[in-house]
Amino acid sequence: MTGPGMTSPGATPGGIRFDQVSVAYDGNTVLDRLDLTVEPGEVMALLGPSGSGKTTALRAVAGFVRPSSGRVFLGGRDVTDLPPHRRGIGMVVQQYALFPHMRVADNVAFGLKARKAPKSGIPQLVADALELVGMASYAGRYPRELSGGQQQRVAIARALATRPGVLLLDEPLSALDAQLRSGMLTELARLHRELPDVSILYVTHDQVEALTLADRIAVMDRARLQDCGTPQELYRSPRTEFTASFVGNANLLPVTVADGHVDFAGHQLTVSTGDVAAGVSATLCVRPHLVGLGAGPNALTGTVAEVQWRGSTHRLYVDVEGHRVKADLRELRETPAIGAPATLHFATEDAVLLPVGAADE
Amino acid sequence: MLVHSRAGKLAVRGVFLLLFVPLFAVPLLVIVAASVSTNWSGAFPSGVTTEHYAAATSGDSLKALTTSLVTAVSASLVALLVGGWAALAAASLRARGKRFLDMLFMLPVAVPSVVVGLAVLVAFSRPPVLLNGTRWIVILAHTVLVTAFAYQSVSAAARRLDPMYEQAAASLGARPSYVLWRVKLPLLLPSLTAAAGLCFALSMGELSATMMLYPPDWTPLPVRIFAATDRGSLFTGAAVAVVLMATTLLVLLAVSRIRTRASYR
Amino acid sequence: MSSTGIADKGRTRRVPPIVWALPPVVVLAPAFLYPLALVVRQSFSPDEGGTSLSPYGEVFASQSFRDALSTTVWLAVGSTAGCLVLGFALALVIAFVPFPGGKAVARFIDVFLSFPSFLITLALLFMYGTVGMANGLWTDVTGADSGPFHFLTTPWGVLLAEITFFTPFVMRPLLAAFSGLDTAQLEVASSLGARPARIVRQVILPEALPALAAGGSLVLVMSLNEFGIVLFTGAKDVTTLPMLVYGKAILESDYPAACVVAVVNIAISVGLYSLYRMVSRRVGA
Repeated sequence: MTGPGMTSPGATPGGIRFDQVSVAYDGNTVLDRLDLTVEPGEVMALLGPSGSGKTTALRAVAGFVRPSSGRVFLGGRDVTDLPPHRRGIGMVVQQYALFPHMRVADNVAFGLKARKAPKSGIPQLVADALELVGMASYAGRYPRELSGGQQQRVAIARALATRPGVLLLDEPLSALDAQLRSGMLTELARLHRELPDVSILYVTHDQVEALTLADRIAVMDRARLQDCGTPQELYRSPRTEFTASFVGNANLLPVTVADGHVDFAGHQLTVSTGDVAAGVSATLCVRPHLVGLGAGPNALTGTVAEVQWRGSTHRLYVDVEGHRVKADLRELRETPAIGAPATLHFATEDAVLLPVGAADE
Repeated sequence: MLVHSRAGKLAVRGVFLLLFVPLFAVPLLVIVAASVSTNWSGAFPSGVTTEHYAAATSGDSLKALTTSLVTAVSASLVALLVGGWAALAAASLRARGKRFLDMLFMLPVAVPSVVVGLAVLVAFSRPPVLLNGTRWIVILAHTVLVTAFAYQSVSAAARRLDPMYEQAAASLGARPSYVLWRVKLPLLLPSLTAAAGLCFALSMGELSATMMLYPPDWTPLPVRIFAATDRGSLFTGAAVAVVLMATTLLVLLAVSRIRTRASYR
Repeated sequence: MSSTGIADKGRTRRVPPIVWALPPVVVLAPAFLYPLALVVRQSFSPDEGGTSLSPYGEVFASQSFRDALSTTVWLAVGSTAGCLVLGFALALVIAFVPFPGGKAVARFIDVFLSFPSFLITLALLFMYGTVGMANGLWTDVTGADSGPFHFLTTPWGVLLAEITFFTPFVMRPLLAAFSGLDTAQLEVASSLGARPARIVRQVILPEALPALAAGGSLVLVMSLNEFGIVLFTGAKDVTTLPMLVYGKAILESDYPAACVVAVVNIAISVGLYSLYRMVSRRVGA
């Protein structure tokens, strides 16, 4: 692979910006005033359940859906009114969409020919792109002669051959089986290291893919952007109940804020309340793996409802005054009996106070 | 699946063959048999002869074959171009425009062929365009009739074509015309050839409109078959009919060969 | 935000899709719509000149038109009914009582559909004509001077030919519908003790109804407009609307009358065809 920084005709520099982008079909809002910026060279995951508007956002960048209001910028250029073929992007979709009537090399060369790249340079660019995804020896095959994973690599090579500044990946791994998927995740991470200037917008419903690959994650739900931040930020200090439950596992406990502590089902828990006024209802988010068994600060007493062995850990469900609290513990020598009393605890700094039902507004 | 006993299956198959064979297979066989017979006044034809074929492949009948071929090929090609173009253009229109084109291009199917013939006759027997008495009026009518079928099959195929190919091509920077030429048309090729075969077969067997229009120097095979049977030469008619069927089948076979070569999955 | 020159050029050069739809319409209009309009106009222009409804009055009053109309309708209804019954039975056997050669039968039907209709009448002439197979067999066996089969030149001959030719048009959508039917349903039904007749009535028939409706209305339109079969029987007393159009225009050169019959034929046919499209779109066939 020749070094990055080469541009070919029609390719845009990196960077995506959504400016108050809304999309509506038949009066149904599927994307609601999205504001989001993807920096050049950044991997942004759009994470959310189906129907959250994440794919619509990607298709608005590609030009396949027209925003009903708002603007889309690529590399600082307003592309809202440009047809897809003038946007200079690369795109990979779930079903690969390789052209069945063309060999692998012709598939990869398609974008270069369509953009009228100098003829003499095309073979080298095609070879480079196939080399990049490890498919150089398959140039003469037809797509139908390749496995799903191989087709996916070719689709990526095809999207990258024109050296776009922006790469759009729409659930690229969801058609692959679990083992191939983790291999491709590693591949994609490597690709991104080799192409440090390319902005990648990665649409997925899989939190593992998002946490593994993304520099930042934009969490979408019900047509809205719920939260945006680095994987660590979202995991450690989510801003909404939805983010907390969608990115990683979470105990979400209904609490009432008091002076310097919160009240939960008859327990006084010491957590940072920030500037939340006393008397306000809130949700306390504690990650199950940060919950310990036995007495300690912020102790919760209840009875064991269920114990699940998960190989290296035990998952404990403890009923505390009608609320079920999860704890992921390192494998226990002696598992507590169901119905036995149990005490759980967590550190003050491991709890995050969230506004109630931010996702349900 | 439905009938399980051995006797029941046998009985059902027996009834099926009793219905199917005399109704569908025997008629075609009878025509073939008659085309090589000297006489048929009993249960079976008597005497074998190739003389009907000699008549069916020479002189006026040979001319009728070339007439039919020229008519069918030109009508099919024009129909494929016009109907296919309309179908592809309709595919990129909004619902209202699509419905309008659908209606317009389906109309020739709904209008009786005889009436299409009459309409063409009425319209082109007067200025500004005088085509009556020429071969062009026959070709024109055939084209109108088969265009509807070309439109129908191409638009069905275009509907089935996954838009993801088109979108992938557009995202790679291909203009709509480039997408059409390099992606859509190649992917639709199997359906296009199927449509061409359908148009060809229909035009080869077209009789209704042709009877209204044909000039003496442009008699296609079906008219020739009718003329033969009408004056009592049933055996010659049968031989010409076999020529018609064989030609149609050969062309359809050739087309389906192209089609299998052109289908990718 | 700055847009590049290329982008601006592209924006002005983009052609709306409607423009691409124009050329084929422009071709079709003079070749088909204009002639059709002339037929309608001619139907209001009696030979004496002027514009009046008199051609309609004359045609509607004539016995030949009334006969043709009733013959056409009953032949069309009869062939449709026959095709539906026969097509359903045959498709049922092909789909659910599999036998060796079933595939070949399906292929044969496709081939059959690509032949013109009048070949059937031609074949029937050899089979049931005055000197054909059936009568020949009869005279051979009984020693009589002539056989008993003379129905070819009656409407029954046309009916037989039309049922033969159009039945495959019913079978095709039916076979497609049957191939989508889950055979597990039939197996469950028969494991619950349902007899074949009951399975057909309660499981298969409801599934087949949309395809039957679509196929049936298609056959209705086609038999209404059939010309070749009727022409080839050579029967003077079987006149259908298309035959009447041909007769008035070509044999009698009475164009206004031919156009009136044509307009009536178009009205019935287009109406039924719209019905067919509606039915087949609803069932997705």
